[in-house]
Amino acid sequence: MNGAALAALALAGLTLVKATPLIYAALGGVLSERSGVVNIGLEGIMIAGAFAAVVVSGATGSAIAGALAGIVAGALLAAILAYVATKLAVDQIVAGTGLNIAALAAAGFGLVVVYGQPGASREVPALGAAGSNVLIVLAFLAAIALQLALARTPWGLHVRACGEDPDAAESAGIDALRTRFWAVVIGGAIAALGGVYLSLAELDLYSDGMTAGRGFIALAAVIFGRWTPLGATGAALFFGFFAALQFTLQRAGVPSELLQALPYVAALVALGGFAGRVRAPAADGVPYVRS
Amino acid sequence: MTALLRTRAGRDVAVVLVAVFGVGSLAMLLARVSPVVGFGALFDGAFGTPEEIAETLVQTTNLLFPALGIAIAFRAGLFNIGAEGQLMLGGFAAGWLGAQFPLPGYLAIPMVLLGGAVAGGAWGAIPGFLRAKLGANEVISTLMLNFVATLLTTYLVTGPLAQTGGGSQETGTLPKAAQIPDMLADSRLTYAFVLALALAAVLWWVLKRTVFGYELRAAGEAPEAARRAGIDLGRTAFVAMTLSGAIAGLGGATIVAGVLHRFNTGLSPGYGFIAIAVALVGNLDPLWIVLAALGFGMLQSGGVAMQAEAGVPREVVSLVTGLVIIALAGRRAIVSRRTA
Repeated sequence: MNGAALAALALAGLTLVKATPLIYAALGGVLSERSGVVNIGLEGIMIAGAFAAVVVSGATGSAIAGALAGIVAGALLAAILAYVATKLAVDQIVAGTGLNIAALAAAGFGLVVVYGQPGASREVPALGAAGSNVLIVLAFLAAIALQLALARTPWGLHVRACGEDPDAAESAGIDALRTRFWAVVIGGAIAALGGVYLSLAELDLYSDGMTAGRGFIALAAVIFGRWTPLGATGAALFFGFFAALQFTLQRAGVPSELLQALPYVAALVALGGFAGRVRAPAADGVPYVRS
Repeated sequence: MTALLRTRAGRDVAVVLVAVFGVGSLAMLLARVSPVVGFGALFDGAFGTPEEIAETLVQTTNLLFPALGIAIAFRAGLFNIGAEGQLMLGGFAAGWLGAQFPLPGYLAIPMVLLGGAVAGGAWGAIPGFLRAKLGANEVISTLMLNFVATLLTTYLVTGPLAQTGGGSQETGTLPKAAQIPDMLADSRLTYAFVLALALAAVLWWVLKRTVFGYELRAAGEAPEAARRAGIDLGRTAFVAMTLSGAIAGLGGATIVAGVLHRFNTGLSPGYGFIAIAVALVGNLDPLWIVLAALGFGMLQSGGVAMQAEAGVPREVVSLVTGLVIIALAGRRAIVSRRTA
């Protein structure tokens, strides 16, 4: 193979690596928003997943136990948002913002308490190359499974009904609050895998700020992907490509800050160019209060 | 007591107190520090000496500007999570202009502050435009712009607009004429504090007594009715976001011109995010926000002492701040969010 083909292959591989955490987070976001709850807390959920995975992997010596703990931590954090968004009917976006701040702080606090140092954990057993590849493949399988589940199963219909018109859903006998609650919790478990990927597959430790806004880019991917799992996966690949492109262009001497800004600018431009032409689930972000 | 708890304000105060003292104590116990010692160090660090009180007021000032900006946007029905980026841009513009153009005193400070406000305003105008013209959700665009702001200012200050050599992440030092005068010797407290208080009073008046303020609130509280009454919702959103960014940018400029005397990429420990909690606790009312800023300013300045003296990680303060935001998210839902 010649040099250009090799470079293209490397870029494609890196795109997959960079896209995988975005795919998980975006799938979590899609599920949550299709049920009618905007989950700005994806970033915090990824942080929780990444941190819990490292702590448990370090304590048990098993990266798989760590990954499972990460999923549980993400689901628990999502449950907080799910509770205040359904039972208390609060402003979901404000609550999600608080969740992000609290999760980042809790992980920073945890670093000091568990490892006795701020900034980063020590290195822990990671998932290894095989485990990383499994997580990458699993992301795509999860996207297909969620696409089918939302489109073809009774549960998917219930979730979508609650996101479009919770009143009508309730009169059809669906418990809208319960459906939303579990959609957010399961979405949190999926999104947390994105954090697990960052801390146990791409690296083997947790460091402060390692999610670097991926949860927010995932939100843009949800919109860009028109609130469908496969669409969001495509958008995550698109943003992952820009994240991977930095490393290629860096070698060409483009300043690194401008390159790091690429995925965010791409998301911003996509958002501006796309926003007027897509339609969110009708009741997305609107708290449901039983009358 | 129970009667007090039945009022909304009473409940809010109770929630905030539980978050601060309940969760704070729990976290301190996890860090194996007695809450008495931990909170003792915090209060002592915030109010123990005149210098420490001055530092608390410095932190109050730094939180007050972005909180006022966030409140203005919030009242118009827009959630500006981008105050952090607007503050960074404002700080950079202030630092660069101040060090680049040595003007006499009566011009230097206005130039620096105005530059900061314009830069922050421009950064706020982007999501305002995207929202008004293209219907893009301001929440995600302001979040993205925070990251871009950090990277852009780092690029500018180390690259094309560098004033100090060696890839330093700082601008040059502001000449004396461009520095906001101190209010108290041996402290970092400057007249920026007075400026922040005056701004709060002005914004209170604008919101309450002017046509512009009325339109802003109408767009936020009842967008459909406002539109029928002839209020241009797109224009209101654009103006509110620009103003919101300008206020946060002005805050960044006062940190540069008052506290640091240069721009530094580590300018803000997250003032733009903590300010969300400040704005919510202050019920989005400029005058109450002053009190809320004092409370969070205390947590900021006392948090440093709590870590140094009692060994409690400072992150406890951010943790409590995040929980306060979650707890108060129910007080005011943004009605117009879904008009986009």
